Amino acid sequence: MNISQLTTLSQVDSDQAVLWTFLVYIVGVFVIAGLSNRLLKGRSFLSEYFLGSRGLGVWAFALTLAATSSSGGSFMGFPSKIYTHGWSLGLWIGSYMVVPICVMGLLGKRINEVARTAGAITIPDVLRDRFRSVSFGLISVSLIVFFMTFNLIAQFKGGSTILKTLLGPIDAFTSAAASLPDWIANFSSQGNEYLVCLVVFGVAVIVYTTYGGFHAVVWTDVMQGIVMVIGVVIMLPLAINQAGYVARTDDGAGLEQVTRRMAQMVPPRRGTGTIRSIENDADVTVPSGSWIFTGQSDQQRLFKIKDRFDLTNSEPEATNAEIWEIVAPDDIEQVRRRLESGSERSNVTEQVTLEINELKDYAYGAKPEHAGSYVTGPGPHRQKTDGFLPLSLAISFFFMWAISGTGQPSNMVRLMAFKDTITLRRSIFTVALYYSAIYFPLVIIFCCARVLMPGMESEPDRIMPQMAIELTTNIGMGWLAGLLIAAPFAAVMSTVDSFLLMISSALVRDIYQRNINPRVEETKIKTFSYVITLVAGLGALFGAMNPPEFLQDIIVYTGSGLAACFLAAVVYALYWPRSNAHGCIAAMLSGFGSHLSMYLIGFLQGNGFSAYRLFNMDPIIIGLTTSFLVGYVVTLLTPPPPQDLVEKYFYEPVQ
Amino acid sequence: MNSQNATPVSTDTTTGLRRTRVFLNSRREGIVIFGVWFVALCWSVPYCYINGYSQQVNVETLSTTLGIPSWLFGGILLPWLAADVITAWICFFFMKDDELGTAGDEEGQVGATTDTAQTAGGAA
Repeated sequence: MNISQLTTLSQVDSDQAVLWTFLVYIVGVFVIAGLSNRLLKGRSFLSEYFLGSRGLGVWAFALTLAATSSSGGSFMGFPSKIYTHGWSLGLWIGSYMVVPICVMGLLGKRINEVARTAGAITIPDVLRDRFRSVSFGLISVSLIVFFMTFNLIAQFKGGSTILKTLLGPIDAFTSAAASLPDWIANFSSQGNEYLVCLVVFGVAVIVYTTYGGFHAVVWTDVMQGIVMVIGVVIMLPLAINQAGYVARTDDGAGLEQVTRRMAQMVPPRRGTGTIRSIENDADVTVPSGSWIFTGQSDQQRLFKIKDRFDLTNSEPEATNAEIWEIVAPDDIEQVRRRLESGSERSNVTEQVTLEINELKDYAYGAKPEHAGSYVTGPGPHRQKTDGFLPLSLAISFFFMWAISGTGQPSNMVRLMAFKDTITLRRSIFTVALYYSAIYFPLVIIFCCARVLMPGMESEPDRIMPQMAIELTTNIGMGWLAGLLIAAPFAAVMSTVDSFLLMISSALVRDIYQRNINPRVEETKIKTFSYVITLVAGLGALFGAMNPPEFLQDIIVYTGSGLAACFLAAVVYALYWPRSNAHGCIAAMLSGFGSHLSMYLIGFLQGNGFSAYRLFNMDPIIIGLTTSFLVGYVVTLLTPPPPQDLVEKYFYEPVQ
Repeated sequence: MNSQNATPVSTDTTTGLRRTRVFLNSRREGIVIFGVWFVALCWSVPYCYINGYSQQVNVETLSTTLGIPSWLFGGILLPWLAADVITAWICFFFMKDDELGTAGDEEGQVGATTDTAQTAGGAA
């Protein structure tokens, strides 16, 4: 048996492992939902269903917060960014060193106390009762539903895309997708495989969230959080060991050599070309990600063809095929080795010719004066001449993760659910260790991926599953890939279930119970909660069948927009006795308006969904600054709050 | 370590009320935590910018620590470890344990079959 056959066998093992891991994982999720549903009996339904009866202990509280914050972006988008831009991602993610203490410590104790005093179950509940203002409650509900709905659709798409990446190589899955009748396939513009994944992912999340409520979400978060950290812990030593071996020198074979190899890397060129079949009569299939060498041996060039092409007698050429040229000599050599060993499956050099139409260098990173851009700031970038992370953006991201994270209602509602302050203190430290074990190690792992697997710039979102398969296959344990690949799926699932419950709680509690029918019976509110969670989930699922453009930008917009709306209002509500409804509503609306205006200006300038960056800063900084300033000024210009409200939330009787 | 009654409280003797302990302790802890974030920002970004930006790299002279570029090691990894130590100090030695109160829904948890608006929404 040769190396190629061994690799193919391992690949089959990995594919089966992915399928089995996925099935075991789904079964586990439903078991947790069933157990959680039993907790609903004998307790106040709304409090249990939407807030877990304020009884979360250390592990549940710590891991639900950590897992909810780590969306699919942490395990798909972040690795692809590391691979594309190199070590500068260490600075990009740097403020995660203080995210746990900021997100949980700045508001945690106080919002928990105020929520208990008010009997509040949701964030709009807190704001409404804190200021005794129905309109404030409704404004905050509207903003949450607005942002969360968009975000939920985007997360649903993210979840199905990840699932498609995981299940894509499995024959049973592709056959099932291909056999969908046309009338079903026509529901989505994204293709059959996407539709199948969306339905599987969507139905699983909707069912367990609807049935189990908050506790199901929390305990699946715990399971998902454990899966994530195990994935990283296994991958780290494998990545350093295997990439170190590839980059080995006389001085050793470790991370040192990986970094020095990266220092010599030059970003690839991207362009288009025309592919022609060499033999006129034969049909030729060019699989996606195929490699082709051109030129003579002493001046040979290496290209990757991004998409799949089927060349036939009637159509013997494909014009405008997207191609990527690998230019760093070490990278070319590594691809050659991988082709020889069978790690890379397709070399079409003998079957087709390539005529280059155009090729473009990276805007930053390709010139000699930018040598070593993968190991220095601001990092290479294909379009931006000032690189991936200029100074202003580095500052913005320090705000983005720590401060914007503090302003997320999905985090705030978890802060209302912990049992006592001992739980809070221990959980903050647990999350700090958890993030330390995940985020910087991810930077190391996917810097190693640059050395191990050159040329993934053409499809960077696949780097996480590819790397998992590569690392485990190389040690002859392909089955382990299933566990590693479950991590990104777990990440996106844990985010979606939380957002789904937030929308549902906003509609059931904040609109129906508190404004339409305050004396609704327990049985009726129970049915209503199930139905609304189900309908909200199905609505997002249908929305994701034909998702809008600029989806990733929408996720960024909604995340920073929620912080711009809620952070100042909640901080004033919790810590400033003089604050009143006028000031906090003004803070919320001005944050929303100023943040949105940055996007509108960008849109009017023809940048699509990319925001205008005043002083080259992210819109979150503009939104937060405006929100805090306007809230402060309006509060001072309007009458102080009623004394009894101040006494209720800021004072206690002298014992 | 986390004495519950360590924080002096301001008392208004005319009304017989005083600021809640949770409010006073949270505010004090919030100021320190915000300070930690600000120090992290003031250390990490300038350090990385001065030592790791816009420099032409010579592979032979590239400075690394434990295989990581030295600008990132000193600018992010070391402060990250320091932040974990400070977080531990805040969690186990600085933050106070406070009584958070009891919500209406907690009082009626067992056999809660009464009006939901009363049990789950104290101030509805």
